[in-house]
Amino acid sequence: MIEVKDLTKRYAGRTAVDSISFEVDKGEIVGFLGPNGAGKSTTLRMLTCFLSASEGTAKVAGYDIYDDSIQVRKQVGYMPENVPLYPDMRVSEYLRFRARLKGLGYRATKRAVSEVMDICSLAEVERSIIATLSKGYKQRVGLADALVNKPDLLILDEPTNGLDPNQIRQSRELIKRLGERHTILISTHILSEVEMTCGRVIIIDKGQIKASDSPKNLIRRLRRPGAILLEMSGDADAAGKKIATLEGVQEVEKLDERNGWASFTIATDPNIDVREDVAELVRGENWKIRELASRTASLEDAFVDLVQRGPIKKPDTKAPESDDSRGEEASKSTNPVESET
Amino acid sequence: MRAFLIIFHKELRSFFLSPLAWVVMALFTFLNGWLFASMVNAMTMRVSSRSLVYNLFSSGWFWMGFFILFPLITMRLFAEERKMGTIEGLLTAPVRTSEVLLGKYLATVVVYLITVLPVFLFFPIFQVVTGEEAAYHPGALWGSAIGLLLVGLFNVAIGTLASALTSNQLIAAMLTFVFVMLHYFLGFLHNFGVVPGSSWTSGLTYFSTTEHMHSLTEGLIDSGPFVYYISFSVVILSVTHHVLESRKWRA
Repeated sequence: MIEVKDLTKRYAGRTAVDSISFEVDKGEIVGFLGPNGAGKSTTLRMLTCFLSASEGTAKVAGYDIYDDSIQVRKQVGYMPENVPLYPDMRVSEYLRFRARLKGLGYRATKRAVSEVMDICSLAEVERSIIATLSKGYKQRVGLADALVNKPDLLILDEPTNGLDPNQIRQSRELIKRLGERHTILISTHILSEVEMTCGRVIIIDKGQIKASDSPKNLIRRLRRPGAILLEMSGDADAAGKKIATLEGVQEVEKLDERNGWASFTIATDPNIDVREDVAELVRGENWKIRELASRTASLEDAFVDLVQRGPIKKPDTKAPESDDSRGEEASKSTNPVESET
Repeated sequence: MRAFLIIFHKELRSFFLSPLAWVVMALFTFLNGWLFASMVNAMTMRVSSRSLVYNLFSSGWFWMGFFILFPLITMRLFAEERKMGTIEGLLTAPVRTSEVLLGKYLATVVVYLITVLPVFLFFPIFQVVTGEEAAYHPGALWGSAIGLLLVGLFNVAIGTLASALTSNQLIAAMLTFVFVMLHYFLGFLHNFGVVPGSSWTSGLTYFSTTEHMHSLTEGLIDSGPFVYYISFSVVILSVTHHVLESRKWRA
C-alpha cells in the first residue's frame, strides 16, 4: 500500500527526514513512533502530498506521490496533527463540504456523511458549530472527514493527542475497528496506544528509522535484561549470594529489608525465566516467599533504548552502565509501569 | 472545475455568514451614499463641466474607501487557512492548487461586486426621486461599471497574493492597503514635488488606478484598460499560484 524509498526532506540547514525507506502492506495497522521532532509529521505530510520530498520517492497504492499526486490524495484519508477544522461551520456542513471536495456526488455525499457520522458517533452534534465542540468531538469530526470518501489508506497524525484517558480508549477501539477495513498508518508518541492497536511499529528518531517490527519482537529483541521481583523472609545475605549463582541470573540487588522481609530485584537473561529456580531454592532453604513476579520489558523500554542508544544489534549485550543523565532516564523507565505479568 | 465550484460556493457562503462582510458592505454603501449626496450638492452650487458619474468616480473620496475595502475582503483568503492549519486539509484533498486559488479569487471578486453594486443604484434612484431626466448617461454608467470590475479583478488579485504570502492576516491587510494606496497615488505624483511632464511622471501615471478610469467614466470603452488590468491580474494570480506551490518545498 505504501512503498517509501530513500525519502528525504531538508529544510533550510536541517534534515528533518533522512533517507528513510519502509513499506506498509495492505490491511496492516502500522504505528509510526518517535519523539517530538523526529520527523513523523514531515514524513506523513510528504506521503499525503502536502510537502514535496527533497530526495527519494514514495508510492501510495501504486501511485507516485510526485507524479500522480491527485490520484494519491484520492486513495488517502488524512487526519492532520491537531485536527484543523473550519470553526464557523456546522459538523454536517463541514463533512458535506469535505465529501464534495473529495469528489463525491450529491447523493453519495449524503449517504457517506450519514455513514461516517454513525461510525464516529457524531449524531448528537450534527448541527453544532465546530468551534463549540469539545476536543474529543473535534477529533472525531477529523476522523469522519478522513473516512468520508472510503479511502483504502488512513493516515492519522497523532489522533489521540490531547484527549482524556477515556476518550483515548474510545478512539483506540475505533481505530482498531477501522483496521478491519482500512490500511492504517498512525503516528504517535503514546506507547501504550501503539502496543494495543498496531501490528507493527516503525520507530523513527532524528529523521532516521531505528527499528521496524511488531511490538512483541521489539521487546524481545530489547537488549535490556528482564527483571524479577522477589520478596522473602530468611537469611537475606545468603539468599542474595545463592540466587546470584543460578543460571541466567546476571545481577541481584537487595532493595529493602523490613521486619524480616527482604525484597530483591533480579536481573536476568531475557531469554531465560528463572522464577521456578528461585522458588525452588527458597523453598529448599525453608524460607518464605511473599512475592515472586517477573517484570517484562515494555515497549517503552524498547523505545527509550532505541531512541537514546541507537539501533538494536544483538540481544545478548548487557545494558551499558552510564552515570550521565541519559542513562539515568533510561534506568528510570525500567521501573515497571506499563506492562506487568 | 468541480472543485473550483465547491470552493467558490464555500467561500461565498462563509463570507456572508461572517459579520465582517455585512459591516464592510454597510459602511462602504453609507460612505458612498454620503459622497453621492455631497457631489449632488456641490454640483447644484457650482456649474461643472463634467457629469455626475465622472465626478463621483474620479473623486479621491470614492477611492479612499477602496484602500480599506480590498484589504478587508482579501486578508483572510489564505492567511487564515494557514494560521488555522486548515490549508493542510484543503491541499491534501484531491484538488488542484489552481482550482483552490481561482475559487477563492473569484468568490472574492463577486463579494467585491456585490459591495460596489449599490453605488450604481444611486443614479436611477436619484433620477426617480428628483425627476431629473439627465442625471446620468447609461453609457457612462456602464463604462464605470466595467472600470470598477477591472479595478476589482486587479486589486483582489493583489490582496490574494498578499494573503498567500503570510499566515498573519494583519500583515496581509497592510500589504494590500499599502499597495492599493500607492497604486492610486501614482497618478498624483506631480502633487508630491516630482517634476510634472517628465518621462518618469508620465510613465508612472500610466500605471495608476484612476488613469484608466477617466475614459470609461465618460462612456468611452477602450481596449487599453482591459489589456492593462486583465494581463496584470493574470500575472499576479500566477505569481500567487507559484507562492502556494513553493510552500511545498519550504517548511
